[in-house]
Amino acid sequence: MEQFALAVIICAFLAIFMKKISFSPIPAYIIFGLILGKSGLNLFGEDEISKLLGEIGLIFLLFYIGLELNYENLKKEAYKITAGGFLDLFVNFILGFLSAFLLGFDLKESFVIASAFYISSSAIVIHSLIENRKLIFPEAETIIWLMVFEDIVLIFLLFFISAESGGIFSLFLKTAVFVFLVFSLVKVFSKHIDNIISREDETSLLFIFSLVIFVSFFAKSINVPEALAAISLGASMSGLNTKRIEEFSRPFKDVFIVLFFFFFGVSVEIGYISVESIAVVLLAIIGKFISGVAIGKISHNSFYSGIEIGASTVARGEFSIVLASIFGSKEVSALIAFLVLSTAIIGTITAKYSRKIIKIIKKF
Amino acid sequence: MGFRSIELPGVGAKYEIETENNDKIAVVFLRNGKIQLYILTKECEEPVVVDLSPSEARRIGNVLTGAIFESMEESVEIAFSALADLRILVHTYRVTEKIVGKNIEELDIRRKTGATIIAVSRKGKNFINPPPHFIFEKDDIIVVIGEQEQIKAFEKEILGV
Repeated sequence: MEQFALAVIICAFLAIFMKKISFSPIPAYIIFGLILGKSGLNLFGEDEISKLLGEIGLIFLLFYIGLELNYENLKKEAYKITAGGFLDLFVNFILGFLSAFLLGFDLKESFVIASAFYISSSAIVIHSLIENRKLIFPEAETIIWLMVFEDIVLIFLLFFISAESGGIFSLFLKTAVFVFLVFSLVKVFSKHIDNIISREDETSLLFIFSLVIFVSFFAKSINVPEALAAISLGASMSGLNTKRIEEFSRPFKDVFIVLFFFFFGVSVEIGYISVESIAVVLLAIIGKFISGVAIGKISHNSFYSGIEIGASTVARGEFSIVLASIFGSKEVSALIAFLVLSTAIIGTITAKYSRKIIKIIKKF
Repeated sequence: MGFRSIELPGVGAKYEIETENNDKIAVVFLRNGKIQLYILTKECEEPVVVDLSPSEARRIGNVLTGAIFESMEESVEIAFSALADLRILVHTYRVTEKIVGKNIEELDIRRKTGATIIAVSRKGKNFINPPPHFIFEKDDIIVVIGEQEQIKAFEKEILGV
């Protein structure tokens, strides 16, 4: 209990400090977790409480991502990015897979690493776009839709990775039935749900909290991946009064996800970092520049737009950590932690100085 | 002139205007309530950007639409196109000698003119929906709402201008 109290206060001050220097706080939580946990001073360890709270954070993060996946919105805009989205997936997933496989990881581990290697951090990327005031540029929109595309791919990645361990057919059926039930129940009761969430008392907050927790943990108890359950519940509710639901779920997400990152850092044994993992980080940066240039050519017919897109999407973050924490072995988690920390820091810098990078390239 | 609006997931709503000179202006309503205003002139590579609070943004909006309430006598007309072109005029006045010291009830404003006083500004303090016994003081600024005819009648019969 004491370590929980200490963890929250440390994270709160970290968040305040990182906002001050306008940097994403996510790497800071993990670094402090590393310093205070197993690979550092060993003052903190994982226990039932930290696991549960971290799990709640993860569930709410994914629920929140699901809420953004509004079908109507996607239909109107997101198709523009389909080609670019697949390019991003192929280039970075294959690069990640090959490098993991060559480092001696088995097929499943390589798949997990490739997924983490592929998926950029929506939180850091979007925060950077706002912070660096790039929203007027057409590339910013491409980047934002690319993040949405990656969120959708995440659903499939979660599905395939869990399927691999549980027998693909039975899991597919069970999950399909579960997701179908969630969508139809939300649809049938949409009026009632809308009524509850538009109330002005504490019941709306309580309702959202318990619904998300119940659906996710119920899914887990019948061996449907809870991450998938949370994200599909979010997606099923995205047609309702989304602003209100976001308003109610954000406090839970914001508080618990911080503990998730911190205790992920605590649990990782970073001793496995080597020259090879530095090579993986370099590849991860180069990969995003390659896919960025390709997307820039397709969507904006410009090489320099591509550099902008690449520089803005280097940062990996929350989703890679989610994948590592659900599916990663010791070695896999250590590699992904290192990948996320390095690319999050380097990615924030490349996003900030993308215009300078472009100027330098133009000189040659 | 091009105008387009788009909802950006995780960011907020973006409105884009391209002027006849091909300068670009974008307004982005962020999730955290802040508003970013971008101006990118066609000769420049980098935009000029300001971060605005909602009240600052409203003020700029008012200036641009010409509805400046800071000058003492201004009016705006609101047209509800969905309600059979219902038009309502909102007008501000400085009180005249004729009504200083009197209250809303004895002036019998609503019966005589049809207009309604919806707010009074006194030394930087605002009174919304003043009660019938509200007494006007020198230098009060009042906000009157009504149809064009009612506002005219209010000017003539109550203020005596």
